[in-house]
Amino acid sequence: MAILSSLKNEYRTLSVVGMAKNAGKTTTLNYLIEEAADECVTLGVTSTGRDGESVDLVTGTEKPKVYLYPGTIVSVPTSLFESASAGLEILRMTKYHTSIGPVMICRVVDSGYVQVAGPVLTSDHKLMYGEMMSCGAEIILIDGAVDRKSIAAPETSDAIILATGAVLSRNMKKVAEETAYLAGLYGLPELDDEWAVESFKGCSKITVAGKGKTCGLDIETGLDASGTIDDAIDEDTEYVYIPGALTSSVVRNIHPKKFSHVTFVMKNPTKIFLSFAEWQRLVKKGFVAKVLKNIKIAAISVNPVSPEGYSFQHENLIEIMEKAVPHIRIIDVKLQ
Amino acid sequence: MAAVSTEISKVDLTKVKPYGDTMNDGMVETAFTLPVPYGEEASEAAKQLVKKMGLDEPAVVYSHDMGGGYTFFVVYGKCQHTVDFTSIKVTKVEVEIMDRLECQKFIEENIKRDVVIVGASTGTDAHTVGIDAIMNMKGFHGHYGLERYKGIEAVNMGSQVPNEAVIAKAVELKADAILVSQTVTQKDVHIANLTNMVELLEAEGLRDKVILVCGGPRISHELAQELGYDAGFGPHSYAEHVASFVLTEMVKRELK
Repeated sequence: MAILSSLKNEYRTLSVVGMAKNAGKTTTLNYLIEEAADECVTLGVTSTGRDGESVDLVTGTEKPKVYLYPGTIVSVPTSLFESASAGLEILRMTKYHTSIGPVMICRVVDSGYVQVAGPVLTSDHKLMYGEMMSCGAEIILIDGAVDRKSIAAPETSDAIILATGAVLSRNMKKVAEETAYLAGLYGLPELDDEWAVESFKGCSKITVAGKGKTCGLDIETGLDASGTIDDAIDEDTEYVYIPGALTSSVVRNIHPKKFSHVTFVMKNPTKIFLSFAEWQRLVKKGFVAKVLKNIKIAAISVNPVSPEGYSFQHENLIEIMEKAVPHIRIIDVKLQ
Repeated sequence: MAAVSTEISKVDLTKVKPYGDTMNDGMVETAFTLPVPYGEEASEAAKQLVKKMGLDEPAVVYSHDMGGGYTFFVVYGKCQHTVDFTSIKVTKVEVEIMDRLECQKFIEENIKRDVVIVGASTGTDAHTVGIDAIMNMKGFHGHYGLERYKGIEAVNMGSQVPNEAVIAKAVELKADAILVSQTVTQKDVHIANLTNMVELLEAEGLRDKVILVCGGPRISHELAQELGYDAGFGPHSYAEHVASFVLTEMVKRELK
């Protein structure tokens, strides 16, 4: 299945994000790299580097090496250049820094393993992708350094490939349910009321807005502050903007009657920390949520094997998944 | 005294293997339960399994009928693998350990105000033994806890505290550090819980403003860093280790 060749027309950068540890992120990444080699798509490969991992990067325990084929454009910190078994041609030195030294953009000349790392700052990432594109990469794959969902934030990439799998639950229906829930959150509608969008941009406080007026609440965090938020909502309120995390304690004491005329707005879907059950309960009471920017899911990859020692039938899992998220392409990285 | 040449001084550290009763005999004891009924077939199954683990000459020295079709085994075998001890690198918290009095002096000289540390045993974990050992006045094993430290305001929130409640408290008290304790960790529930804490702090934009530390019997510094913590403390850690790290890090990150 030529997934990349169709995706490269739609997106410039794709992050591979795991729903949980061992959901199959690395398998997915390797699968896409293989496919790119078969389909003659010139890949750019990088990863989201973070300070905490510098030591792990050096010992090589945290970051699995990736096997790359000739032509691939890759970002490598100078300190890890020597440890690559692939033949690398240095294209340019960049001004971006990882926690273990400056980054170089290289082209793979002989296939082999490379330890990939990218800049620490999100703002640097975007600039570096541009440089990798100008070196010939047609599409850029970003390896999420940790299986942490916050890297799915829309600032990092155009779209994500969500790796999900048996590791989520021993119950196949539950795996599909959890995945569908997350896909639903990521696809939440974006706020289209222009004046509200403008007034919430760059807002760092919880803000209630309505009838053209906005009012920032004088609290440091929304956590455990649902009473204060409830007090601030009156009959003119149309929106509540929550810049931080949306957890059950942020909305617990808000009177459900107020849900009917208020839309809750989050910066992006990764700020939502509600379980599927909590979410369902809220929605039943009339809770409406929108985001300033949602996350595009280009595809969902499914891993039917859990390292805990159980697995599902490939066909069954794919089938149930396709039913649960009918509008997103499902790929079985183990079968193909 | 002249150096005595003993067995241990002759060990080849590049090829270390288990010691049973003679050097390099590779003897290993395993204990496990199989979901098969007690009997000779069960013992044979245990032996074959142990062989597959890379242990030669497996010997079932004990087996017990657990009832309900389960059998428990103790099996010995000789390990054929070795590790190169000289190439081992372990990531540790790298900080000069100060004792309680030195910590107090350090606060007086370098921070010049009270340091606020909020701690809790989070999520479903009902065990306070870990956080109490670090935070409570009496401490543990002759090492006083953080409450005893002059210049440290230690707030122990107890057990089964939701991550968001810890964060809310930390914001309220303008805490410099958050300590998360995870004692019982079946099915790796601590991983999900610890990750959730980091994600919440990041979503709230607070991650850079606090020093985030976790601890527990299955926590290592390496794991902690992988999960996005500043440091992790495993078994045999005391209040002075945590305090030394937090204080040094505060000065280093200029969180004064």
